[in-house]
Amino acid sequence: MAGLVDLSVKIGSLVIKNPVTAASGTAGYGEDLAGFTGLSRFGAIFTKGLSLEPRRGNRGNRILETPSGMLNSIGLENVGLKKFIDEKLPFLLKDGAVVIPNIAGHSEEENVELSRILSCTEGVSAIELNVSCPNVKEGGIAFGTDLKIFTSLLEKTRKAASCPLIVKLSPNVTDISLFAVRAGEIGADAVSAVNTFLGMKIDIKSRKPHFINKVAGLSGPAIRPLAVRAVFKIYEKVNIPIIGIGGIASLEDMIEFLMAGSSAVSIGTMNLVDPWCAEKLIDGLEKYMAEEKFGKISDITGLAHGM
Amino acid sequence: MESAELLEKPEKVSTDHFLLKILLKGREPVPGQFINIRIGRETDPLLRRPFSVFDWSDNRASIIIRIAGRGTSLLSELSPGPIDVIGPFGKGFTLAENKDVLLVGGGVGNAPLFFLARMLKERKCRITYVYGHRSKGHMFLTDVYRDLCHEFIPVTDDGSEGTRGYAGDIAGGIKRPGDYSHVYACGPHEMMKKTALAFSMKSRVEVSIERYFGCGTGLCSGCTIECADGLKRVCKDGPVFPGDNILWDRMV
Repeated sequence: MAGLVDLSVKIGSLVIKNPVTAASGTAGYGEDLAGFTGLSRFGAIFTKGLSLEPRRGNRGNRILETPSGMLNSIGLENVGLKKFIDEKLPFLLKDGAVVIPNIAGHSEEENVELSRILSCTEGVSAIELNVSCPNVKEGGIAFGTDLKIFTSLLEKTRKAASCPLIVKLSPNVTDISLFAVRAGEIGADAVSAVNTFLGMKIDIKSRKPHFINKVAGLSGPAIRPLAVRAVFKIYEKVNIPIIGIGGIASLEDMIEFLMAGSSAVSIGTMNLVDPWCAEKLIDGLEKYMAEEKFGKISDITGLAHGM
Repeated sequence: MESAELLEKPEKVSTDHFLLKILLKGREPVPGQFINIRIGRETDPLLRRPFSVFDWSDNRASIIIRIAGRGTSLLSELSPGPIDVIGPFGKGFTLAENKDVLLVGGGVGNAPLFFLARMLKERKCRITYVYGHRSKGHMFLTDVYRDLCHEFIPVTDDGSEGTRGYAGDIAGGIKRPGDYSHVYACGPHEMMKKTALAFSMKSRVEVSIERYFGCGTGLCSGCTIECADGLKRVCKDGPVFPGDNILWDRMV
C-alpha cells in the first residue's frame, strides 16, 4: 500500500510527512511520549506552551474528568525558553521529531521575543502562537477573543517570526472565522482550530468552583462536534491550511475533521488515554486512503463542502 | 495496547474496597509503582485510573480499589477477561535490608504498603505497622498484614477496631523517631505530613503521594507538586518521594 498514497501536507514552506500531529500540552516535550510512539512517526509535535521564564502553573486542582471529556487548569506550567532550547529541543530532534513550539507569552512583547528567538533556532520547523489559553490571568485568552488585540499581536509576531507561523484559535468567540480571516490577511501560514472551550465545575460540597482559577478548559470527545463546526466555518472563509483539533479518538473522527476542511489534525486528550493513538491513526489513514482511492490529503480536505 | 487479563471477578474485601487480580505477563513492578487502567473501550469514562500494586507474584498483579466514583464503581463490576492496563509506572519505595522499619498506612493507602511489607520481610526487616482506616468495616485483609509484622497497630477514626484516632497522630505519638532507620507512609495528606514531620530528623522517610492524574504517563502536567528542589510530576518523578522533600503546605 505504501507509495500509493501521499500523506504529506504543506504548511507554508514546511512540508510534514503526514497530517497527524500531537497537540500542545498533551505531549510535554516529547520525552514521555517517545516511550510509546516514536516521535518521528508524527507529522509534527507541538510542544507545551512556552514563556521566556519558567512557569510554575496553577495551584490546586488541575484536572477533572467530565462526560467524554476533561477540564484542565494547568496554567501553562513550562520550563522556560532557555531550558527548552538547551535540553528539550535536542532530545526531540534526536528522536526525529518535527518540532513546533507553542508560544504562550503573557504580553505582546514576550510573544514577539519568543517568536523572534525560536524562529531562528535551528531545529524549530514552525511556531504556533497560542492566543487562547484560558488558564492564565494575563494575556492568554484576551489575545484570542478581542480582534483588535489579536490583530496587533499577530502583526508584530508575523514581523518577528522568520519561520512558518501557525495561530491557535480560541473557540470562545461568537465567530471564530473572523479571527481566522484576520490571521490569513496578516500572513499566518495556518490556523489550529480549536483550543479548549471554557468550562466550569462547582463542587457542591464546598459550594465553590472546583478550580482555583474558577474556569478551566474543556477538551476531549465531548467537544468534537463543536470543533468540527468551527473548522467547517473557517474553511468557508480562508485559504490557509487548518489544523483541526477537538476530541479526535478514531480514524472516523479524523476523517470527519479533514472533510470539514482540515489539512492536518492534532491529537490532544486522547494522547493521555491512549499514547499509541496517533500511530494507529496514521496507519489507519494510509489504509483508508488506499481503499477509498484518495491519492493525497488535499483530495479529502473540505469534501463535505460539496459543489 | 499491551495484553492484560482480569483473572477473577473483583472480590469485595471490606466496605467500599475490592481486590482485583490481573495477569500482566513480564511486567514486574516494584513496591510503590502503579498500573493505569482504561475502564472501557468507549470515551466515557475517558481517563485511565491509576492504582498502586497491592501485591505481585507469578506474573499476577493484585490491586485494591476503593469505590470513589463512577469509574471505580464500573471497575468493581467488571467480568473476567481482557483489560486495558498500561504500566507499571512511577518511582517506587527504597527497600531497606535487615533494619527496623515503620509503615504508616491510611485508608486505601494501605494497599501499596502490603507489597512493600512483604518485600521488606524478605529482606529481614523488623516491621512495625500502623494501619489506619475509617472503621473496622473499612479495614481490608488485616490478617495478611499482621502475619508480616513484628508489631501491628490497628487504628480507626471511630474506635471500632484498635486505637481510636488517626494513623499519623498515633505513629508520631507512640513511636520514638530514633527507633527506625526507614519510615514509609501512604494515605491522606495530613497523615503523611504528620508522619514526615515526626520522623524525618532521624529516619529516612518515604511517602507515596496521591494526586488526580490526567494521564499517568507524564504528558499532561496535571499532577505537578512543588518540592524543595523544584516542580515534580507525581506520576513520573513519584509517586514515592522523600518525605523531607515535600512542601506540605503548598499542596492544597
